[in-house]
Amino acid sequence: MLYRTISTLNQNFGQNIMAQNIPTRSAIFGDNNAYCGITIGSYSTTIYTSDEDAKIMRWLSPLEPGDRHHTLRTNRFEGIGDWLLETSEFREWRGGEGGADQAVLFCSGDPGVGKTHLK
Amino acid sequence: MSLTARNSSSLVIDRLCNQTREEGLAVAWLYCDYQAHQEQTVINIMGAIAKQLVGKGGIPKDIREAFQEAKELGGRRPLLPDLMRILRIAIAKLPQVFICIDALDECLPKDLPKPLESLRDIVRESPRTRIFLTGRPHVREAIHRYFTKAVGTPISSNEDDIRNYVVMRLDRDDVPEAMDNSLRAEILRIIPEKISNMYVDISPLSTMYTY
Repeated sequence: MLYRTISTLNQNFGQNIMAQNIPTRSAIFGDNNAYCGITIGSYSTTIYTSDEDAKIMRWLSPLEPGDRHHTLRTNRFEGIGDWLLETSEFREWRGGEGGADQAVLFCSGDPGVGKTHLK
Repeated sequence: MSLTARNSSSLVIDRLCNQTREEGLAVAWLYCDYQAHQEQTVINIMGAIAKQLVGKGGIPKDIREAFQEAKELGGRRPLLPDLMRILRIAIAKLPQVFICIDALDECLPKDLPKPLESLRDIVRESPRTRIFLTGRPHVREAIHRYFTKAVGTPISSNEDDIRNYVVMRLDRDDVPEAMDNSLRAEILRIIPEKISNMYVDISPLSTMYTY
């Protein structure tokens, strides 16, 4: 539960920054995906673009899903769960050959109980 | 730490993002949170997805125009039809789009059909779009209403995951001299077994979300 609370705080923190708009965050599609794979996300590493682009982004949504993702990936342990990416279900879905019929992969389970138990 | 549904989302998002550069894929996601019910309206969900997709290669002209128009109308927020149009424009420009929505069960049940319907409409128009969803098992029914052929994978306790985690923690032990082989073996035998037994069905919790 503590873990989830921290994540939520981070998400809210991100939104407050957005609300104050100081400074304006990147409007590029990488907005959230800039965190992927390589960068440790922080406001100082965000690429700045025009003010109007940032306004359009805020107009579309005040949410910053990249912040939450960053928190989660920071707390994830390397190698754990990699088996999921090797399942035939994931591979077939990822391959995208099945058209609309195979558009959806649904993973069912509890979002956070494992983490809480092991803290 | 074992794999949880939430972590499976972040894992899948990372895997997809790592491939975006080389393959020109686009990934958009949202982590739902029961503490943020008010934010998880269909408008906010689809807005968050749109936000992550529109800027790829520069914001398209028609989206700029829509924004300008809204601005002139006193800063009118986009409604669902506006966002769906924007998503259509953005997705049409991209080779393939992946949309991941984590913990659907943390939306209020009344808020669930609209995002699923919107996602279904997106897939109908762009059949290459892939959607990754997670949630407690009971949302399966709602998903199947919109995606009759959705494939399901249970994320459950995996003793191997737990064992790997314990091995990692033991290897990082800052008092290694206090450990001997038999204690280590015992820890590795008992903890994964006990922890996986702790993964009980949490349906009593789920009922909290039934309104």
